[in-house]
Amino acid sequence: MDNASTVLQLLFSGIGTGSIYALVAVGFNVIFKSTDAINFSQGEWVMMGGMVAAATVTASSSPVWLACLFAVLVVTAVGLVSERLVILPIAKPTPLLITLISIGLAICTKSAVMLTLGKNPAGYPGFAGDALVTVAGATVHSQTLWILVITAAFMVLAHLFFEKTVLGKALRAAAADRDAAALVGIKARSTVMWSFAIAAMAGAIAGTIITPLTLTSYDAGTMLGFKGFSAAMLGGLGNLYGSLLGGLLLGVLEAFASGYISSHFKDAIAFVVLLLILFWRPVGLIGKPVVEKV
Amino acid sequence: MSGAFAKPHIRARIAGAALAIMAATGAGTASAEETIKIGSILSVTGPAAFLGEDMKAGMEIAVEEINAAGGINGRKVDWVFYDAESQTQKAMSATRRLLTQDRVDMIVGGGSMSGIALAMAPMAEQAKVPFISTEGAMNIVQPVSERKWAFKSTVDDDSVLDRIADYLAKKDIKKVALLADSSGFGQSATEQMKLLAPKRQLDVTYEAFNPADTDMTAQLTRIRDSGAQAIICWTVTPAGVVFLKQAQQLGLGDRTLIHSYGFVSQRYMELAGDAAKNLLLVSVKFPVGDQLPDSDPLKPRVQELIQKFQKRYGRPPNQYVAQTYDAIQLARLAVEKGGKDKAKLRDALEAIAGYNGTGGTFTFTPARHSGLSKDDIVMLDWKNGRFNLADYR
Repeated sequence: MDNASTVLQLLFSGIGTGSIYALVAVGFNVIFKSTDAINFSQGEWVMMGGMVAAATVTASSSPVWLACLFAVLVVTAVGLVSERLVILPIAKPTPLLITLISIGLAICTKSAVMLTLGKNPAGYPGFAGDALVTVAGATVHSQTLWILVITAAFMVLAHLFFEKTVLGKALRAAAADRDAAALVGIKARSTVMWSFAIAAMAGAIAGTIITPLTLTSYDAGTMLGFKGFSAAMLGGLGNLYGSLLGGLLLGVLEAFASGYISSHFKDAIAFVVLLLILFWRPVGLIGKPVVEKV
Repeated sequence: MSGAFAKPHIRARIAGAALAIMAATGAGTASAEETIKIGSILSVTGPAAFLGEDMKAGMEIAVEEINAAGGINGRKVDWVFYDAESQTQKAMSATRRLLTQDRVDMIVGGGSMSGIALAMAPMAEQAKVPFISTEGAMNIVQPVSERKWAFKSTVDDDSVLDRIADYLAKKDIKKVALLADSSGFGQSATEQMKLLAPKRQLDVTYEAFNPADTDMTAQLTRIRDSGAQAIICWTVTPAGVVFLKQAQQLGLGDRTLIHSYGFVSQRYMELAGDAAKNLLLVSVKFPVGDQLPDSDPLKPRVQELIQKFQKRYGRPPNQYVAQTYDAIQLARLAVEKGGKDKAKLRDALEAIAGYNGTGGTFTFTPARHSGLSKDDIVMLDWKNGRFNLADYR
């Protein structure tokens, strides 16, 4: 149990799960930035991504990557439409109101998936089948490597999007100061819509790439949502790089906790560490404290 | 003056209302005498939903069959069903409803989860209403001195583990790992294994995981290092598929992998794909009914249910259907002898002996309220897209 290959084995499984938490956390952060609200339907989008992809693979026997791409598009559209249907009509969208509405949205999403795609657990093979890869004595599923690559690519693209594109800059501007952004012609309401679409997309990507390893079912979203939320808090709410750091840290912590202590306490240990870090740094590891000028 | 007029008017109304109530309750008792009221609680939503739907279908088909045949001794079955939503709290309030409002003669089905059935059993006990559980855990009906009114239509973990030990003895395997989930189902297996291991000279490594876990690398690495020749996994959740896949990944595919009776599901086997190719499952005989030797008394019963179910639902039934179908049939047997008197129903249940159901041969005794025994359990494997009989006795 003490040898290097075991440590590496646990590290790989931790980074794999952690990447998923990071992607979910990105979703939380993007919506938090644009609305100051916590979106509790984030986890359901993760589940929906996996379920839609699984149903597509079964129904059309299309290649897995195509089904995943399709699922990501569907869920992104669902995120976008959800915002238009339930957030846009609100006259005064306060953060608390949006948070509460997102809980309702989560329940609706879950029920809709249950009614349309059924209650059975679903899954499909990885992008490279169920091939195994040996890395320095540790055997990992090829899908784990795909997860790492896709998460890294998503993070780089998200960085470029927010730093280089007009829409990305507009979203950041609106997040920084809604009124000032409105003065220069950025429609705050449409930035909210885009943030929902991006969050849903991040969730769906996480869902489609993890399902070959873990399977999914209509009720799997809530826990993933909580874990992603914890990762976002750990890294610093509203911070893109915080998501990555928080997610990976949480994943690795869980893997080592279950490896060296007990899997019964895996979740507990992860949450205790989260609490301790928040006591020490309430804004998260790399979050910046918000100073309200009166 | 107006007061004097009003009074008789009101009185007449009250009298009328009282008459109406009397008439209603009178009619109520009359119809209640003709029917036998069976209350059922299963989880058709929530995490146990994938079990609950089939379990409910099993009951439906049994109730329809009984009523189509004219009921039990002329009494039709009035079946009251509630969804527990996989939540113990919901199941408990539904149980209270069954006992106080619906005033059922018997409860069949304990919410599709052992944890729920464990909470329901004492309530039925207190109300002195016979309760036939369709869930697994042994302590639903044990100790019998505290569970006079509870019976169950499923196999006991000690018999199942004993059956596995028989198989391991045949294959001369001594070092074993038990990887059980932390639900009531998994914990019960761990407890029973700890009692059984010294008796059967097994050297057992114990590992656990949460039912929602999606990664078992840590546990399986420890098991690999322990040198166990056989790994027994105990869960009903998709985590069991993760176990199979990761066992292959960590090079444990050449050891004897065994899944519990809770994992005998075509869906899971398909999801596991190649990882299920050398898996064994311990199970009741139902999934391999057609492969049983002709001498087995269960064979015709199983095939009859399979045909009926296929016709009614357009898909083949699984062993959960058998579990609840049998439970309703056990209730029928009890009513045939005990009528509507709850104490007599209980005694009649306890006296059932050698009844050939679809899940096994049921025999209850005052000392044992689990109807099935080790002889009802076989080992299966998954080949050519179906379950096959791998080890009969």
